[in-house]
Amino acid sequence: MTRMVADSSALILLAKCGLLEIVCNLFEIIVPKAVNIEVATEDLVKNYPDAALISDLISKGAIKVQSSGSDRLPLPISLHRGKEDALLLAIKLGRSLFATDDGKAIKAAKFFKVPFIITPKIVVELFRLQKISFKKARKSLEKLSKIGRYSPEIIADALVSLMEEKNGKTNNHKDT
Amino acid sequence: MAKPTTIRIPEDLLNEINEFVQKSKLDRSAYLREVLRKGFSIDKQDRLLLKYARKELSQVEVCEELKWDTWRFLAQLKARNLYLNVEFEDWLDAAELPS
Repeated sequence: MTRMVADSSALILLAKCGLLEIVCNLFEIIVPKAVNIEVATEDLVKNYPDAALISDLISKGAIKVQSSGSDRLPLPISLHRGKEDALLLAIKLGRSLFATDDGKAIKAAKFFKVPFIITPKIVVELFRLQKISFKKARKSLEKLSKIGRYSPEIIADALVSLMEEKNGKTNNHKDT
Repeated sequence: MAKPTTIRIPEDLLNEINEFVQKSKLDRSAYLREVLRKGFSIDKQDRLLLKYARKELSQVEVCEELKWDTWRFLAQLKARNLYLNVEFEDWLDAAELPS
């Protein structure tokens, strides 16, 4: 099972585009303790359905909360505790994908050569792997654009990738 | 408790403020305090969001400074027609999920 270490930005956007539960079923999702505090406090759970869903998945064990230990990363830029812990966990655990939707965290992941994934890519990949329908994938990308504030350039290219995958699948069916 | 401070402001702006305060029957000091508080709040948000766009601050760091949660952060981006600080290059560099 593929392991994914997620930070708060990725968890929230996955919840917002309706894919968090699917992702939790398909992958081993791990978050550091600091991320748990950032997204699933009592106040947030009361006010936001996404936070309630994340909290529920954590309590069911579908999202695992793990300590990153006391080590710190020799980063060239300062990172917030939650993001640094998530990156540290991804490095420590090995063979893990770092899921984030934060530019500064991506910059740090690139510095440490940690493979990272962003939510629009998860959407396209889930469709490629036939884990979600085309309709669901397109709807998720629309939500990432409107609510998730992803740039139109990224969403447009993600939609093109999605169409290419769809056409590829249709052509493969025609060929066989 | 309010503490005194001194600033120099352009004469034309001061005249405009005085005129407005008089016409609106406002307390000049209270009005200036309110304007300063409002202006500071807006300017702080603008500057921190600019730092976010430049990737000098992360989403969580901005939220902590402004006492926002992530949901409010996303709503504010929408209200200001701003986007996440993830670049097109990051999209291209993102890993694929293993089959």
